[in-house]
Amino acid sequence: MNAISESAETKVELSAIDRSVRTPVLLFFGSAVLWLVIASLLFLLSSSQIHKPDSWWTLPGIPWLSYGRVYPTFVDCFVYGWVASTGIALGLWLLSRFSAAPLRYPALAIYGWAVWNVGLISGVVCLLAGTTTGYPFLEFPPYAAFILYLGFAMVCLPAISIAWHRKPGTLYISEWYVLGGFLWFAWMYATANITLVNLPAPGAAQPAINWWYAGSLFDLWLTPIALAVAYYLIPKIVERPIYSERLALMGFWGLALFGGWTGMTYIIGGPLPAWMITAGIVARVLMLIPVFAIATNFHRTMTGAFGGLRDDLALRFISTGAMIYTVYAVEGGIVSLRSVAQFTQFTLITQVHSELGLIGFVSLILFGAVYYIAPRLLGREWLFPKLVTTHFWFLVTGLGLLYFSLTIGGLIQGFGLADPQVPIIAMSDLLQPFLTIQNVGVLLLVIGNLTFAIAFVLILLISAPAKQREVVFDEPEKAPDNSAAEVSVA
Amino acid sequence: MKRLTGFFLGVLLLFAASWIGLVAYPYLTFAGLTQSKDDATGALSPQGIAGTATQGARVYAANGCLYCHSQYVRDKDEGTDIDRKWGSRRTVARDYMFDRQVFLGTSRLGADLTNVGVHQTDAQWYYKLLYNPHSLGHEAVMPAYRWLFETRQIQGQPSVDAVQLGGADAPPAGYEVVPTGEGKALVEYLLSLKRNYPLPEAPEATE
Repeated sequence: MNAISESAETKVELSAIDRSVRTPVLLFFGSAVLWLVIASLLFLLSSSQIHKPDSWWTLPGIPWLSYGRVYPTFVDCFVYGWVASTGIALGLWLLSRFSAAPLRYPALAIYGWAVWNVGLISGVVCLLAGTTTGYPFLEFPPYAAFILYLGFAMVCLPAISIAWHRKPGTLYISEWYVLGGFLWFAWMYATANITLVNLPAPGAAQPAINWWYAGSLFDLWLTPIALAVAYYLIPKIVERPIYSERLALMGFWGLALFGGWTGMTYIIGGPLPAWMITAGIVARVLMLIPVFAIATNFHRTMTGAFGGLRDDLALRFISTGAMIYTVYAVEGGIVSLRSVAQFTQFTLITQVHSELGLIGFVSLILFGAVYYIAPRLLGREWLFPKLVTTHFWFLVTGLGLLYFSLTIGGLIQGFGLADPQVPIIAMSDLLQPFLTIQNVGVLLLVIGNLTFAIAFVLILLISAPAKQREVVFDEPEKAPDNSAAEVSVA
Repeated sequence: MKRLTGFFLGVLLLFAASWIGLVAYPYLTFAGLTQSKDDATGALSPQGIAGTATQGARVYAANGCLYCHSQYVRDKDEGTDIDRKWGSRRTVARDYMFDRQVFLGTSRLGADLTNVGVHQTDAQWYYKLLYNPHSLGHEAVMPAYRWLFETRQIQGQPSVDAVQLGGADAPPAGYEVVPTGEGKALVEYLLSLKRNYPLPEAPEATE
């Protein structure tokens, strides 16, 4: 009797919390989906341009749609427009849920959403117009970067404040990652913009700062967001607590310890003191310890519940993403070793490795999260579950083609670059077949993402008829109480 | 609340370590670099770039050259850059001490440009390449940068900068193709890329 009334009370509270974050979260989801569509189209254009620079369908001769501008714009649209926007929304949602408190200033979060998107729009327009800082991952000019940062602060400060004023109790694993990610991103983005653009660092310090930022961006902002989601939704969907608290702790603090150093592996052999580069390589290799801890934890949590991969579409996205994380980290460790980097550095492998992380690992988990959360916030179901499976298979097939073509092509390119007898211009001929396959892969990927966008627009506009309600997801009340999966911080 | 403070402290201190090592340390130490003086000639190197070449660096950034071209030479035991004649020694921090912006780059779909101004000293070579990458026999993935040029009627004498184009690219009679201000600045910048002076900390590679 007691247990039943308690859980009913929890449910009422949860829905009050969900209501308080509903508008900002859905706004962020909506704009993120739009940015994903823009990023996808730019991705298709840039991957075609690298394949056929002279063909009319790659729009040659238009300066603001030339490869040198489209490619960085794609990356920034994807990283900030899609991944970071969704990440902020998910962080907000997770923190208010776990703190068992409604969002304190919902209006501030909504204004923050508007400011963040103004920052994105102005940054993207400037990039296409040729106004760029010229630092990879930090291309937005200072005013756009400032607006973006302001928007971020307006959403995250209230979110952190709910966690600060939460009811006493333990912090759940997802909260560690969200809080860590918010603080780290706030620090790294401010530092990098100030030291590269506002008070420019002297000569060779610039690449050190630039790649410190890029490594931290991946490992301490995009990764924590994805892991926060996975740590929350995997146990929830399979209805089992997280396997081990110790492994979770090891994974988190390992990431925090090594994450800031990994970026140096982008510039092995660069004009920096050898210890900096070595620190980066060591961090990348040691990073495998937390990664395996995390992977084991997810695997053990899911053991015996792998049937869920077939039945639950959100889980399918999330656990595939989590598996790709391991692949991504192992490959990252291998290509960082000096003996391997000799061949793989400067090749397409560098590019496709980042794309594997961004699309295969982080985005798959974010897609799963949107598939899980959007129906609950809207009180509706996905209209056509077929669209969701279509999205999944197009995405996975496209990513597979992209990854394998550019990895094999990159290896060939690497051995070509290593042989001084092979002229650099001969390499484009060698790469043609691989560039063709990656072009097809990106096309499939883009079709998949458009399917996702269509599904999202449909769920916003149309309430599904009642008979389809049970098809895709479990009703939330079937999920177990979170407390079973809660562990404390050290 | 105590526990939360400890958590925040741990999160921030661990990140601070990398911030000190990779941001604060190079920011402060690389500001103290000085030029190297050649004992025999008394020449100071490196020399900073000046004038239009600095504007050319902005054009280089704006058109995303850095996404396919790198600007550093690795030591002999880290790659074959020196065998490829991209430089006779590795590049070190001092090589970049005067660069307002450093474009190391992470891709070599195109050639390394650390010393491109040493190998190609003729502005015409760059103009032809930028106008039509195929004109020099390149089966290149490099796009053409036609917006860095304009076709205009010849007024009196042909311009000294007019691009010497043949075949299908040749402008109609009485017209000429000349680089715009941006095009000229970019080529000035590329011509200025010469990191071939000796530095004691990076001796020339020997076999």
